[in-house]
Amino acid sequence: MSFINDHLLSIIVAAPAVAAVLLLIVDDEARLTMRFISLIGATVSLAGSIQVALTYGMAQGGLQRPEKYPLVPSLGIDLSLAVDGWGVSLLLLTGIIIFAGVWATWTLTDRAREFYILLLLLVSGVLGVFVCQDLFIFFLFYEIAVLPMYLLIGIWGSRGKVAADGPFAFVWKRFDVGGREYAAMKLTLMLLVGSAAILVVIFAMYFSAGGRTFDLTVLGHASYPRQMQLWAFPLLWLGFGSLAGVFPFHTWSPDGHAAAPTAVSMLHAGVLMKLGAFGVIRIGMMMLPEGAAYWAPYVGGVAVINVLYGAISAMSQKDLKYVIAYSSVSHMGVVMLGAATLTVDGWNGAIYQMFAHGMMTGLFFALVGLVYDRAHTRWVPSMGGFAKEMPWVASFFVLACLSSLGLPGLAGFVAEFLVFLGAWQSTHWWWALPGIVGAWVTAVYVLRAVRDIFFGEGPRSKEIHHLHDAHGTEWGALWVLGIGLVVFGSYPRLILDFIHLATNEYLPRVASIAAQLAQAP
Amino acid sequence: MPTADDLRPLAVDLALLGATLMLFAVDLGLPHGRKRWLGVLSSALLAGLFVLTFFVDTEGSAFGGSYVGGAWPLLFKRIALAAGALAALGSVDHVDRHFPTRQGEFYLLMMFSLMGMTLLPGARDLLLFVVAFEMMGIPLAMMASYAKTEDLKGVHRHAAEAGLKLYLISAVSTAITLFGLSYVYGLTGSTRLDVIAQAPLSPLLGVGMMLTVAGMSFKVGAVPFHMWVPDTYQGAPTPFVAFLSVAPKASGFAAMTAMLLVAFKNNREQVLSVVLLMSLASITIGNLLALPQKDVKRLLAYSGIAQVGYMLIGLVAGGSYGVGMLLFFVSGYVATNMGAFLVLEAIAPQRTGITLDDVKGLSRRSPWLAAALLLFLLSLAGIPFVVGFWGKLMVFMAAYQAGYGWLVLFGALMAIVSLWYYLQVARAAYMGDAPTEEVVPVKVTPTLATAIAVCLTLVLGMGAYPRPFIEQASAAARSFLGEAP
Repeated sequence: MSFINDHLLSIIVAAPAVAAVLLLIVDDEARLTMRFISLIGATVSLAGSIQVALTYGMAQGGLQRPEKYPLVPSLGIDLSLAVDGWGVSLLLLTGIIIFAGVWATWTLTDRAREFYILLLLLVSGVLGVFVCQDLFIFFLFYEIAVLPMYLLIGIWGSRGKVAADGPFAFVWKRFDVGGREYAAMKLTLMLLVGSAAILVVIFAMYFSAGGRTFDLTVLGHASYPRQMQLWAFPLLWLGFGSLAGVFPFHTWSPDGHAAAPTAVSMLHAGVLMKLGAFGVIRIGMMMLPEGAAYWAPYVGGVAVINVLYGAISAMSQKDLKYVIAYSSVSHMGVVMLGAATLTVDGWNGAIYQMFAHGMMTGLFFALVGLVYDRAHTRWVPSMGGFAKEMPWVASFFVLACLSSLGLPGLAGFVAEFLVFLGAWQSTHWWWALPGIVGAWVTAVYVLRAVRDIFFGEGPRSKEIHHLHDAHGTEWGALWVLGIGLVVFGSYPRLILDFIHLATNEYLPRVASIAAQLAQAP
Repeated sequence: MPTADDLRPLAVDLALLGATLMLFAVDLGLPHGRKRWLGVLSSALLAGLFVLTFFVDTEGSAFGGSYVGGAWPLLFKRIALAAGALAALGSVDHVDRHFPTRQGEFYLLMMFSLMGMTLLPGARDLLLFVVAFEMMGIPLAMMASYAKTEDLKGVHRHAAEAGLKLYLISAVSTAITLFGLSYVYGLTGSTRLDVIAQAPLSPLLGVGMMLTVAGMSFKVGAVPFHMWVPDTYQGAPTPFVAFLSVAPKASGFAAMTAMLLVAFKNNREQVLSVVLLMSLASITIGNLLALPQKDVKRLLAYSGIAQVGYMLIGLVAGGSYGVGMLLFFVSGYVATNMGAFLVLEAIAPQRTGITLDDVKGLSRRSPWLAAALLLFLLSLAGIPFVVGFWGKLMVFMAAYQAGYGWLVLFGALMAIVSLWYYLQVARAAYMGDAPTEEVVPVKVTPTLATAIAVCLTLVLGMGAYPRPFIEQASAAARSFLGEAP
């Protein structure tokens, strides 16, 4: 057992990838075998993450379970893994989401093998980002997490079309806006432009630190010239931020999430967008504190726009997936807002919001997938009265909505409360106000969505008797995520203790530099 | 009178000559109908020579320093031999099907061209340079138009154009190189590279150097001598294009590096702007012109021009690090591009032109081929965990270190442009529906499948564990520049 214990992080990261390789040799028709292999891969990762969380030494904190394998020693590239408090919580989130995601796609039949392979590879990338301690490998894993998305959306995405409307209707028609191939290409290209920016900054740090190593701890303690930090931070913000849905680089997200198949939407909105925010905090703010301190007001200002713009856009959407997708943009704004406050509560809230939003949006997309599967439409005005036929789906949807609008007792509340608390303590106390307004607008659109879809008289309320509630494997995702929302909402310390530990370790350096900057004329 | 010891740096080249003559003899003796074994034989011979390179000691110099051995030329020889072996293996069925009566000549020409390629990296004398260049180039032009006389069904209607373009532009670029070299020789009084390096800079020498380097851009297919690339690729037999698109490039870079870092070592700054300009122009023009292509071979041709631009970045960065990474990039590129063209050959063995429509529905017709094609394309685009990523990354890193941060950003952004057209091909393979309702599986012959599998293994292996390859390339570059290992 000690081998497993010593290499637990590698096992967690590699399990999905190994499952993906195993899938290659499974017979084409053996769909059940494929599902079980995928499920086993996901379960190993989830179980490993739980084990990591249980055995994490709270007393000493810091980076634990270090593993190091030299990859290209002449350049100082090592595959080095270790986990800190943030890593623990985000590993757990990823484990839960992929576990639920496999259940949510249990019934997929079209080219199932390729689907699971890509999905599992992507998950390996995500898990890798959260635990790797080498900047270069961080970038590698980040890319792996982004790229399979192109095929996942392009092949298995939904064919939903967006009605061409408005002054730019001809452009929409020309490029097939809303189509899955359009969405896939847009997402890939936008995120890769971000990657190009990240790559340049990685080089800059590597050569500026001069140690010929990519080790995050070493790079994190190097002092970079102020001039370099000032240009490098915004590049990172743009690079990672485009994945986090930072305004105005969020436009791939509604199209992408709307076009993606259920499990991919769950994973993408649930975990992948967090990679971006995690990158901004872990690499941007922690490595380049002077740049972060200088740019923090802008980051926060844009985050406020995100919160409000996302919420207002979500309010005017008629396509259910777009509603959820814009709400993700809005909620990711809360994460960035928390990060920009440079306060303990703000950072705790930011990471907790990643966790809470991941679970919540995962549940949302799983439910939307179910509704679409039954009603064959995502068009909200054409729905109505579904609660009669699918009471449990309706209940879970209401649960997710309540977490989304920040009802105390559910995970979303804890996160948003902490972020607004942090904002109030920061130098820009007024950031809390638009944040709270955003939460209120969220209440308006999610409750309206609940009313329009599940209650009231819909235009087709006579013909919805064929709709039925979730059954069989479909329960898997719903219960896992639903219970998670309640448990982590009513007893946030389960996760928050881990997060707080890491925040306390990382924040003081950044905050003190920010304080110095604020005093300087 | 050279002793046997003098010829040691030439061991591989002499063995290749022996293998070529052996192939010639076998061709004479082999009855018609058995000629397809010539391809297998030449592939086996080249693979044997490739293995041989690991066991010979080629240190030293021959002919009074005109020709040198060592790690640097040896690595290029390996690349050329491996490319030759794979291309010969991939050609077996194409040649047997299309030119059944002239199989021997095809492989002989390939071997002769390879002889030029293996000679080039070690050449340290202008005369040897020009001879090796032509030895490499002329057989290629003949092979490009090989299909011309078999033009019975109009299948190879572009063959003559392919060969002629290659030949004419080759002639022009050689003329330009020779013109430049005549200045260099006239001013320095020597054809030896190390003597030229000592010459003081003068405006005329600068002109000579620029013309020399510009002429050499033909072999690697860089702008401004790139016009032959798309037309030749489109019209020539696909397995031959697989060879043409990688092997001469590798050797061309060996020659350019020798020119820039040995002959023009002390005056490198003067030509650097030309190389930088060629690099920028190749990346921009290659990537932008690839965007609208509907013919996959033309698309890959323009993409190849862009790739050369990225390789030139390594040359711009210079130093043992820059050229070492260039060498690594080239070796990864050989496996990748060769593989991509061989997959195209597998998809449409009857034709020389392959459009996006032919690729449509490939993932249903043959999932393995589609996956291989996807991986090759991703490697070309520079996506992690396949070799192309490391190549681009290493070259970028060298450039950043040399102070070309803006070039890195530019290159990385243009790489994203390139991803768009690579994904067009992947999209056709995965998301396009096959033209016919019925799914017709692709039949791949065993030889071709082996060649593709080897390329794929290299692309994945070098991508997953690049360390030994990077270290080999760096060591070769250090020995080339005479630095301590």
